[in-house]
Amino acid sequence: MSLTDEQLERYSRHIILKDVGIEGQEKILNGKVLIIGAGGLGAPIALYLAAAGVGTIGIVDGDLVDRTNLQRQVIHFTPDIGKPKVISAKEKIKEINPDIKVNTYQYLASAENISDLIKGYDFIIDGTDNFAAKFLINDACVMAGKPFSHGGILRFDGQTLTHTPGNACYRCVFKEPPPKDAVPTCSQAGVLGAIAGMLGTIQAAETLKFFIGKGELLVNRLLIFNALDMTFRNVTLKRDLNCPVCGQKPSITALTDYEQAACDLKGQR
Amino acid sequence: MGLDIKKSINLHNISCPMNFVKTKAALAELQQGELLEVLLDEGEAILNVPRSLKDEGHQVINVENLGETFKVIIKKG
Amino acid sequence: MKIKVNNEYQEFDGEITVSELLTKNNVEMPDMVSVQLNGEFVKRDNFSSTSLTDQDEINFLYFLGGGNF
Ligand SMILES: [Zn+2]
Repeated sequence: MSLTDEQLERYSRHIILKDVGIEGQEKILNGKVLIIGAGGLGAPIALYLAAAGVGTIGIVDGDLVDRTNLQRQVIHFTPDIGKPKVISAKEKIKEINPDIKVNTYQYLASAENISDLIKGYDFIIDGTDNFAAKFLINDACVMAGKPFSHGGILRFDGQTLTHTPGNACYRCVFKEPPPKDAVPTCSQAGVLGAIAGMLGTIQAAETLKFFIGKGELLVNRLLIFNALDMTFRNVTLKRDLNCPVCGQKPSITALTDYEQAACDLKGQR
Repeated sequence: MGLDIKKSINLHNISCPMNFVKTKAALAELQQGELLEVLLDEGEAILNVPRSLKDEGHQVINVENLGETFKVIIKKG
Repeated sequence: MKIKVNNEYQEFDGEITVSELLTKNNVEMPDMVSVQLNGEFVKRDNFSSTSLTDQDEINFLYFLGGGNF
């Protein structure tokens, strides 16, 4: 594959980088990424991956764009209210970079469909808003041997880790979803819009690093930040050999849909 | 000089950093040790591009001043 | 004794358990936190029976559910 003059121009600031170059850009162009959730995190992730030239981007989301999304879900614009999020996102991706192949899945990821969803992709991104989905994505990716990026945000906080086969997974840290009555209530579940951008762009950078194969991924460490203090910290993790899903004798061998607290579900109708 | 030039590109009137990008693209098509001939403008281009190529592990084996352009021979590293 | 909590040292006189440390650090919902002590995760059932010793390193890792909503 040889890059066209247009591609050399479009991706020039990547190609200039010693750690990307022509070879790295070609890997990005051949990359296939599935973004689960076209919301606060999925929005910046999709925008940056499209701009970067990730060849195939799949987007999973069953929701329609709502006015309350616009404060942080920067891929959706005011005239998109009422439109399926996957369509709104696809339109913006195509405008940024017409070369990207976009696959849309206008439904919720579930235990029943997730294995098929992730099958054709090299890297999966968790941009969901609820624990049920986060555990489902983790378990499905671990079982299928797929690398993925976990991301979570709330209020002024964000956290992310990258899983690659054989390394710590989300369940190595969080064994199971929190009890429903412990989940933040609706009034506690606000988020500063820019936090979504901060975390989403970290996840996008991890994805691109995964393809170019340079640097150190957030593997076996959880990056946590608080934007009120603007402090970042890395917590070193290791794979738990007794982990219920990635351990030596996993107790979880089939995917299940966890129940969600009502407020949590709202975003994923 | 009897050099075995594998590929030759003319980057006259191509400014920074696209001249560097196009040189990298041309080098990507060569094998290690093969030679690329590049025509670069005087000024910024000739000051920057060979230096950046050296940073990336390539060798600049000859620079010939042709007036408003320079002919540069690069060995892929 | 000194305990490193989330990368910062805190000073205590006398014995303290994980549960007590959570309370002292105003962790309102222990169900929403995973506790890593010297690199190993402490089972939730053992929060009140696990005592800390000088120079222990402890991290509180919170469930963060957001992203899409
Ligand atoms: Zn695990």
